[in-house]
Amino acid sequence: MYKGTDASAGIGIGKAVIVEEKELVIQRETIIDSAAEIQRFKGALETSMEQTRILAEDLATRVGEKEAEILNGHIMLLSDPMMTGEIESMIQKDLVNSEFAIENVCTMYADMFASMGDELMQQRATDMRDIKTRMQKVLMGVESVDIASLPEGTVLLAKDLTPSMTAGINPANVTGIVTELGGRTSHSAILARALEIPAVVALSGILEAVKNGDMLVLDGSDGTVLVNPEDEALAEYQGKRAAFLKEKKELEKYIGKPSVTKDGVTVELAANIGKPEDVDKVLQYDGEGVGLFRTEFLFMDRNAMPTEEEQFEAYRKVAIAMNGKPVIIRTLDIGGDKEIPYMGLEKDENPFLGYRAVRFCLDRKDDVYRPQLRALLRASAFGNIKIMIPLVTCIDEYRAVKALVEEIKGELDEKGINYNPDIQLGIMVETAAASLIADIFAREADFFSIGTNDLTQYTMSVDRGNDKISYLYSTFNPAVLRSIKRIITCAREAGIMVGMCGEAASDPMMIPLLLAFGLNEFSMSPSAILRARKMITEYNTEDLQAIADQAMSFTTTAEVENYMREFINS
Amino acid sequence: MVSEKVVVKNPSGLHLRPAGILCREAIKYQSSIRFHHYNTTANAKSVLSVLGACIKCGNELEFICEGEDEKEALAAIVKIVRSGLGE
Repeated sequence: MYKGTDASAGIGIGKAVIVEEKELVIQRETIIDSAAEIQRFKGALETSMEQTRILAEDLATRVGEKEAEILNGHIMLLSDPMMTGEIESMIQKDLVNSEFAIENVCTMYADMFASMGDELMQQRATDMRDIKTRMQKVLMGVESVDIASLPEGTVLLAKDLTPSMTAGINPANVTGIVTELGGRTSHSAILARALEIPAVVALSGILEAVKNGDMLVLDGSDGTVLVNPEDEALAEYQGKRAAFLKEKKELEKYIGKPSVTKDGVTVELAANIGKPEDVDKVLQYDGEGVGLFRTEFLFMDRNAMPTEEEQFEAYRKVAIAMNGKPVIIRTLDIGGDKEIPYMGLEKDENPFLGYRAVRFCLDRKDDVYRPQLRALLRASAFGNIKIMIPLVTCIDEYRAVKALVEEIKGELDEKGINYNPDIQLGIMVETAAASLIADIFAREADFFSIGTNDLTQYTMSVDRGNDKISYLYSTFNPAVLRSIKRIITCAREAGIMVGMCGEAASDPMMIPLLLAFGLNEFSMSPSAILRARKMITEYNTEDLQAIADQAMSFTTTAEVENYMREFINS
Repeated sequence: MVSEKVVVKNPSGLHLRPAGILCREAIKYQSSIRFHHYNTTANAKSVLSVLGACIKCGNELEFICEGEDEKEALAAIVKIVRSGLGE
């Protein structure tokens, strides 16, 4: 079994076809008649543009205008006077063949874009290499691999797919895509999702493990790839494939529908994300907001603190993409369990009870918290950002952060920098202490979000990673349920928004209880949103009150779980 | 020669799409159209040149037009940048 990056959901089963672009050998040749060579180049340029135009038009009608955009970009690059001018003058001055001049000039631009370090510019580097190859192929009379006429039931395997290769893919024949390079946001992944072809990318070494004609199974939801699986595994994935397609069809009906119960109670179905690019998934699954944007990614796997500017860019990107929908951003939640050398965090005996999250941030105001809060405030001018404080245990912490936010607002005012003056500051309710004094917090905080993973862990005093005791870890434990109900009730009485961003928010057995308790916002992984919406539209909150009362009357976790399981299956 | 300063307000700066819109407008005019940003100068008629200048949101560009239709060219370019280049 191989594991790559999940790039486009679904199960693909079929015969492997390895697509390899023949490497072009570009040689320097001396020419005599530069005027004739320039004409030869111009002819190839014309043909390349025409080819690209046809591909773009075909893609626009078959898939969509947005997907054809990248090829329209290629036409713009091909018609660039600076590039063509440089190629022509190189042919004329150095008396070299067109292939060689193209190689030089296009590679120079590709390297320039690649060195800029920005994600969009990396894409331009790929574009330059793609158009370079296209022009050279025309000149050398090399045919491109014909992807459009692959046999039915093909799983396409390639090192990487260039935009011009992906453009020819026909979903009627291609049942899956596996590539060694690329990422979730690379062009081939985006196109695979638009064409609804399951895809696994960034799976290095797969080309060596597979021969043409091998049976391949891929799961684009978790990145699994099986090569020549046993009959049993094959049957299992065939079943999964049928179930996936059936459910997908059913859930698609819920895109664009309101998240409202039968008796007219509207809730918000939001998504949890860890990186700005995850927003694509949120929009794809019709999320009504971001309920939790973890900011740790900005601080991990690097040697120095991210600058305020870098953070600002990341937050702003999400705010803009969500276009006015709420985006709750959680301030840094790290402690002694994470190794971040430059942070100067020491190993903690009890990292989850230690120097972490808001405790750490308030102690490191100048170099950690202030830049983050400033970046958040500045980004708030571009969308509906709300700030959420993690691991709060006492009101003093909330007040300290609030004071810091007000102080930064003053600084921004002085400098005339825009921000949202009414930005909401809320708390993540995830400690037993915060739950017990939720009524006090509700008077000052602008919103609550219940973090059930930690709330369960702290309430039950259980490390869920420890197999010997993980049986204690259940959100259905009466102690945890009472805590959740209390937090929601306190928020509702104070008239503030209360959401949930732990795994429980998408648990089918938990959703009826949360609706009965009066939860306003459910935040979950983007792919769970439509399933949750379907469930919510099938319930009547008035009927659920009796179910919740019954569930709350039990004394053990098992009783609650059994009761809820029976209820949702009835 | 005429010139005018204008601030770019495209959220992701001058990436391929807005740069393409700028170029398509620029090539309608005979005049040479360039812009300065810090110590770089870019040719507004070349997508590659515009992309290479790495212009971010909030950057101030000084457009310089030179030629027979320089006044019309400058007015049109400044207008289209201000309007957000299709974004």
